[in-house]
Amino acid sequence: MIMAKVSAMDIYKLLPKTNCKKCGESSCMAFATKLQNKKAMVEQCPIMNTPKFEKNKKKLIEMLSPPVKEVWFGYPDKKCVMGGDEVMYRYELSFFNQTPLGIDISDNLSDEEIKNRAKYVEDFVFERTGEKLKLDFVAIRNASNDPEKFKKAIEIVQEATKLPIALCSLNPDNIEKALDVVKSKTMIYAATKDNFAELLKILIQKKESGKKFALVLSSDDIKTLKGMTKECVKYGIEDLVLDPHTTPENIAETLDKFVMIRRSAIEREDKLLGYPLLGLPINSYFYVLNGNNTLSKFIEESDKAAGIIEARTANALLNRYADAMILHGTEVWELMPILTLRQAIFTDPRKPQAVEPGLYPIGNPDENSPVIMTTNFSLTFYTVTGDFEKDNVKCWLLVLDTEGKAVDVSVAGGQYCGENAKNLIEETKIEEKVNHRIIILPGLAAPARGDIEEKTGWTCVIGTRDSSQVGEFLKKNWEKILNDWKAKNA
Amino acid sequence: IDWEIPINKYKGHIREVQFGKPKSEGGRGKVVKIGGQKALYRFEEPQPNAPVVTFDIFDMPMPGLPKNVRQYFEDVMQDPAEWAKKCVKEFGADMITIHHISTDPKIKDTPVKDAAKLMEELLQAVDVPFVIGGSGDPKKDPLVLEACAEVAEGERCLLASANLDLDYKKVADAAMKYDHNVLSWTIMDPNMAKDLNRRLISHGLDGDRIVMDPTTCSLGYGSEFSINAMTRLRISGLKGDELVNMPMSSGTTNAIGAREAWMKNPKWGDRAYRLPLWEITTGLTMLLSGVDIFMMLHPVSITALKELGKTLTT
Ligand code: B12
Ligand code: SF4
Repeated sequence: MIMAKVSAMDIYKLLPKTNCKKCGESSCMAFATKLQNKKAMVEQCPIMNTPKFEKNKKKLIEMLSPPVKEVWFGYPDKKCVMGGDEVMYRYELSFFNQTPLGIDISDNLSDEEIKNRAKYVEDFVFERTGEKLKLDFVAIRNASNDPEKFKKAIEIVQEATKLPIALCSLNPDNIEKALDVVKSKTMIYAATKDNFAELLKILIQKKESGKKFALVLSSDDIKTLKGMTKECVKYGIEDLVLDPHTTPENIAETLDKFVMIRRSAIEREDKLLGYPLLGLPINSYFYVLNGNNTLSKFIEESDKAAGIIEARTANALLNRYADAMILHGTEVWELMPILTLRQAIFTDPRKPQAVEPGLYPIGNPDENSPVIMTTNFSLTFYTVTGDFEKDNVKCWLLVLDTEGKAVDVSVAGGQYCGENAKNLIEETKIEEKVNHRIIILPGLAAPARGDIEEKTGWTCVIGTRDSSQVGEFLKKNWEKILNDWKAKNA
Repeated sequence: IDWEIPINKYKGHIREVQFGKPKSEGGRGKVVKIGGQKALYRFEEPQPNAPVVTFDIFDMPMPGLPKNVRQYFEDVMQDPAEWAKKCVKEFGADMITIHHISTDPKIKDTPVKDAAKLMEELLQAVDVPFVIGGSGDPKKDPLVLEACAEVAEGERCLLASANLDLDYKKVADAAMKYDHNVLSWTIMDPNMAKDLNRRLISHGLDGDRIVMDPTTCSLGYGSEFSINAMTRLRISGLKGDELVNMPMSSGTTNAIGAREAWMKNPKWGDRAYRLPLWEITTGLTMLLSGVDIFMMLHPVSITALKELGKTLTT
């Protein structure tokens, strides 16, 4: 595994080396390791904040800052964090800060619609593997080009929710007015070649008066983008996001630009392109809705086709470094794959995806309840417990340490075996909790049955293949299984 | 302000593999090529061949297929030749994958010679190249593949698959004797892929006759493992490792097995869109990780994936 580019030793050299423990770590070296793994901030060492260490601190922050700047917007306690990446491929380290997903709200909607849509976004949740996958922000679109309507929409959203807000208008005057009502640090969409000078002037002033914001620079020309970042940085506007245009009529162009910019930042160390990238799948949605439904042979309803193609764009962009995205579609079937792909891409490949092995009582089991054995792979564990909860299954769930492997993987790999099962039974003292000696195994664990019976002395019953059928299976069979066993072992 | 397109130099290239044979050379007609890339991205160097989708069909009706896949094939599932024709005529299939599922001793134990007979029929029914698949039974598959390879002699099919659990030498022999390609299938580990390719090549198989399948995990069921394995293999290939510079294949249909794709659940919205989108997302992720040929099932997914694939090569 390739590790972060900076070594803990390089970091340590710049620390005070007093081992005073004020940072909460046992030594400066331990703190250095935390810093290296992005688990701590330089400011947490109080000595580093003293004037004597000012120079070292600056050096250290520079050294630790990733080639793609980390930029956030929203509220201090509810942030959308973008960027922060150090590598081109996730296997080289990990990708950081999962892509915030925003849903657009047009200011042409009625007050009620605005409120409901914002509420929907805030409440939306899809649960997977013990994680609540959620949407992150709303993009208020100044479709009316009317500053009053724009402001009103912002107020409604702020009143109804605590969602971070992106302000979308190409009209600098309207942005200026909107900034007066928006309470959080907002993301402004966007500065373009046409409005750049005017918008920049306004933003410089706003910044001087203490207003905080992130600014999206938008152009389909990468040199132009670079020119704009240079100009912004000159005036101290450094929380930038780049939008190289999402073009549904030729999405390959968009994907190319995302790669070019990211490669320039990471492999060519081009600081002026080292900013998060914004993708706009919403463009694909409206492209299809406006008469470009290439799926019409199968799906006539253009809003459904639009949802599919929008998700396709979103997922392609997720695979190509998108650090934030704005979508229009809100149907669950569309958002599920996007949220799932995001979760997959941003899981840390350095960590095993496992839960604590052991005994988990599900739904107040008693001495007559079944004992069921699964694995400690997070995906397996959460799928199984999710199904059990849904079907009101009452059981003792034994979670075998399979080193975070799924059922068939660990059967094939030898971790789902008699020896491990025996140890688990002893450690959890399950024998004292039930008056039988029966374990229900997953269908996929059938090949390990003989070994488990032999090593543990327990009777194994092969259950269903999928845990979603376990509730049904137990309802039909458990009583008989238990009685048969009791009759035989009386 | 200056900026240059960041183009990387690659020592190696990806091999080009051909399926089918033109009529002029005595084949049935359609020829499909995959691979041949000299760079990772199209902005570095135009990509020579568009990604290819091969339609899955089965040698017996598959009652287990989700309803919203079955709805497209219900009328032809009894007859694999008609099934293949429908894929080509109605859905524009570039290639067909026949899974000889019924040869599995645990299913129908269809004799090898019957599988070969069906293969002959299929070759007559359509003019596109074939991927020939077994049932997954490690003892029987090499025999099935050998018999089908013989009747398809010279058609440059893809024999699916050679893997470490079965007599891969027999599969390679069939490919060499009857002029076919071999799918070299391993589980998500780039070193295993390299090892199997090395064995196949040292057994005598031409490296240009190999397509790798590093295993496609469905979206949500380990797709990130596949992303890593495929990206690493493609990059090693381009860097010049001749043992892994083969084009790649993805069993994208796996996605349909994910519960989020097939399960009825009002909280998850309409399956009619959810299922194809799950397959599209899985395939598209593999596409952007370097895969060249996709085994897929749902006509909507196939249309959506091919359309995107085309833009990447134009
Ligand atoms: C991802 C994956 C991997 C990943 C591992 C990821 C992980 N953390 O587990 C990696 C790359 C590491 C891997 C490695 C290997 N793998 Co692998 N892998 C897979 C893959 C693609 C998906 C597995 C998965 O995530 N399933 C999802 C989880 C949720 O399913 P599950 O744990 O089975 O749980 C379900 C059911 O079992 C049931 N259930 C669970 N508990 C209970 C309890 C009861 C009582 C009941 C009734 C039901 C039940 O409900 C759950 C929800 O549906 C499968 C193929 C596939 N598509 O299934 C191959 C597969 C499992 N792997 C396989 C093999 C051979 C291997 C290796 C041995 C390869 C090798 N030669 O090195 C290694 C072994 C590694 C080891 N153990 O040391 C084979 C197994 C074949 C077999 N059955 O013998 C498979 C089937 C692929 C194949 N077709 O050949 N693999
Ligand atoms: S607070 Fe600073 S000086 Fe003290 S141990 Fe931590 S890193 Fe070292």
